[in-house]
Amino acid sequence: MAISQEAYKDLEAIVGKEYISSDPVVCEGYRSGPGGYECGLGYERVMTKIPGCVIMPRTTQEVQKIVKACNRYKVPYVPYSTGWYGPRSHCHVDDELLVDLKRMDDFEIDDKHLCVTVGPGVIYSQLQEEAMSRGMYTIVGGGGSQCSAIANMIGDGWSPLSYRIGLPHRRILGTELVLPDGELVLMGSLATDEDSFWGEGPGPDLRGLLRGFTGLRGCLGIVTKMAIKLLPFQPERLEPTGISPHTTLELPIKRVKWINFTMPSKDSMKKAMFEMAKAEIGGGVTKVPIFWRAIAKASCKEDYWDIWSKESEETISSFHLLRVLLIAFTSEEQMEYEEKILNDIITELGGEARRTRPSDESWFKNADSAGMWLMCGGYISVDYVIETLEHAIPHGENYAELKKKFTPPLMPDYGDPGWFQSFELGHQGYSEFLVYWDPDVNTDGVDHFYLETSKENIRKRFYTSLLGPHQPLYLTGPAYGPNYHTWLLKVKDEFDPLFICHPPVPLAHDEFVEKAEWMRPMKDWESPEIKPSS
Amino acid sequence: MLKGKLKLDVTNLDNFEYDMSKCIKCKGCTWVDHIYMPGMTFSTRCPSATRYLFDSYGAYGKMRIGTAMLEGRMEYSDELLKILYACTLCGACDVGCKRNLDLEIELTLEALRIKAVQDGKGPMPQHKKVAQNIAEKHNRFGSPHANRNKWLPGDVKPAEKADVLYFVGCSAAYTSPEIAQSTVKILKASGTPFMLMPDEWCCGNILYSVGMVDEARELAKRNIEEVRKTGAKTLLLSCAEGYRMWKVDYPKLLDISTDELGFKVVHLVEFVDELVKKGSLKLKKKVNLRLTYHDSCSLSRLSEPWTPWEGERGEWGMVSPRLERRRGANGVYQPPRDILQAIPGVELVEMIRMKENAFCCGAGRGTKEAFPDFASWAAKERLEEVKAIGAEAIVSTCPWCKENFAQAASKDGEKLKVFDISEIILAAI
Repeated sequence: MAISQEAYKDLEAIVGKEYISSDPVVCEGYRSGPGGYECGLGYERVMTKIPGCVIMPRTTQEVQKIVKACNRYKVPYVPYSTGWYGPRSHCHVDDELLVDLKRMDDFEIDDKHLCVTVGPGVIYSQLQEEAMSRGMYTIVGGGGSQCSAIANMIGDGWSPLSYRIGLPHRRILGTELVLPDGELVLMGSLATDEDSFWGEGPGPDLRGLLRGFTGLRGCLGIVTKMAIKLLPFQPERLEPTGISPHTTLELPIKRVKWINFTMPSKDSMKKAMFEMAKAEIGGGVTKVPIFWRAIAKASCKEDYWDIWSKESEETISSFHLLRVLLIAFTSEEQMEYEEKILNDIITELGGEARRTRPSDESWFKNADSAGMWLMCGGYISVDYVIETLEHAIPHGENYAELKKKFTPPLMPDYGDPGWFQSFELGHQGYSEFLVYWDPDVNTDGVDHFYLETSKENIRKRFYTSLLGPHQPLYLTGPAYGPNYHTWLLKVKDEFDPLFICHPPVPLAHDEFVEKAEWMRPMKDWESPEIKPSS
Repeated sequence: MLKGKLKLDVTNLDNFEYDMSKCIKCKGCTWVDHIYMPGMTFSTRCPSATRYLFDSYGAYGKMRIGTAMLEGRMEYSDELLKILYACTLCGACDVGCKRNLDLEIELTLEALRIKAVQDGKGPMPQHKKVAQNIAEKHNRFGSPHANRNKWLPGDVKPAEKADVLYFVGCSAAYTSPEIAQSTVKILKASGTPFMLMPDEWCCGNILYSVGMVDEARELAKRNIEEVRKTGAKTLLLSCAEGYRMWKVDYPKLLDISTDELGFKVVHLVEFVDELVKKGSLKLKKKVNLRLTYHDSCSLSRLSEPWTPWEGERGEWGMVSPRLERRRGANGVYQPPRDILQAIPGVELVEMIRMKENAFCCGAGRGTKEAFPDFASWAAKERLEEVKAIGAEAIVSTCPWCKENFAQAASKDGEKLKVFDISEIILAAI
């Protein structure tokens, strides 16, 4: 038995023997890799372990008791909702307890106040269907419909549909958090009563404790319940159609419509985004990586490469595809009005509408996000930026240039600058840079590129989201704080004095650099001695 | 093998190292296709992951466990065998994965059981008993072989020689005779001459499903040879499990394509659908039932024909020559629905999880023999869905499904009616 028998017995008494196991076969099933987000890379190989024990609580009270037992027996633990986020949501040290939250799937929707309260076992497609069937919708993050809604809301949580509403923080109305020592904290409206309409609760706003820009990946406790704001949608049904793999949502085109435009330049795409925002039209807008088109057209991996290999730096640099989503929230007349305005904007900028399928499988109930692994087998988004469009676009271009040095092992993308779009009706600009590689070749270069992007952000003063839990804290902390790393560690220390909640996060990437010999030559920053956690 | 020479050969787990290592844990194998996601209830399609909950019971867990087995990091244990065998091999995971990726999940799961047998650890004891029955009595129940044709109604006389050969299968021959009887009466009513095998033996579905490929291969050779000797052009089945075995797994075992069998493998619903559409069979009698149709896995997502493939995997994981992957899109989904809708009085109401998203009845591929409680649980789960849509009857195309549903319904004292589609068709003639 990987954890002490005494601890195991106490834990078993909390959930019952059907919901706990330290069997090595059961634990092997919770290995992070070798496949998946960021898997196959050095971080996954060096930093992750299989759990020593897996437990599946049903209630918040059970989670509290589990966490208290972990503190009592000094058993490190990690919360785990779906395991979709790759190595950073898996065990990092020996004999760790993995707290699998899938049984916590309570769901309560409030049609009147447009909000829902969910447990960590609820995924986005479930939530979206329940919302849409009641005339509401949520933003399914780019991670896809398979994401736990809670995990995504405290981690990432954006998509082209964020165009109207921006980052997800403000849609978190209330949170129930079991702190690393087992104490319960209720935040936002969950702190006052059962009415989740308001996002604000008494005292300081603790939402930042959970995520800031992106989250802390479970190192500050376990979120057991969240109230999420839903948004009013148009009334027509998005009809599921087709047989797998060709399943899609048929759009009611008088109410919901994607239109693709070819634009003369990147600058014209940016201007279109601003002009749309000024006119307050559109439900979403995005410039996506061009190879996504190839994925969408391909019937298989080989087909993808047939399509993609025909591209070149010239074709990519001269092809500018703007995807615009129109949603007639109020009436069919709204669609007519917005389409007219949009066409005026595009015409003025020299763009042209292309034939666009009246369907969606990517953003309402993201069924195709797993397709990111089709072409190479390895994928990670190395950086996200939410700043201004003026900032976001050069960010992607800069990364595309930097990437050339690391291609191969990275997939050739002919200089494509990634994904950018506007958030909050043009008030924010978003850039995400995605990379792909063949996991069955030497991937050290991918590890190097990932860290190099962090240094590039510091050199070029790009604002970035992937700090604490994703990059070496002692590299990014002094550069961005200048003391945010010390504050983060103080907060961690205060709430988790035993350092047993998902160790060694937020120092995991620091430790990775120390442990992986191919990373050490890249270390040109100061840090105290990082003692390996296991 | 991650790169290099490769064959779609389930008798060597090495062939699936790439597939196991590229599982991304999206759990598309467990959830209903997100496009069709119905909300908070009936949202999964994998019986094993839904019942046992630990990730290890989902395909994502099994792919990781399989990698460990291949790398020699995993000892056999009761838990390991349970994880490998408390699974209906229903193909839900395979179509879910292939919605977005090119990984061979179903074949990997089959290869894992075959490895367990090769290593002398599998199958489960109950499966060994079935194998013994088949070896000694040529049927899975261990019933006297002489009783195999007892089901045949006195008023139906099979032809000595005909283009159509009806392969009855163990279930319909011994425990669900009403299916075989309905089938031959339908054939008679349509004026279709048919013959039976001179000496029908078990198809070997369980043997193959639990990993006993040597025994299954011997049966495949024998049975194919027997059909070829008769000169039949069409092999007709009323059992979905048998249909898959003949159409997909026999060719797989013998390294030939489905086309190379030398005869066409057809399920009763395909046959009847064609007759109805040609006007050769009239479904005139009223059958007043609000019923729902259950897609039997082996007729639907698992039934695409087999083509052997051998080649190489290279850069980016691409294979050459081009491989046409079996994604379940061309399963037999529509014919049974068209038949039921053509029957006057029938009100067909679809279940929430249908076609490639259907939730398996829980009986097939060795599950009911070794894990009867799990099989019963799966059937009850499905019957909950039938209740939710307010149907008064459930209709399937496989005796395994019918028997499992009927037992689950009667245990719970349900008033729900359970039929095989052959019975409904006959009632309409």
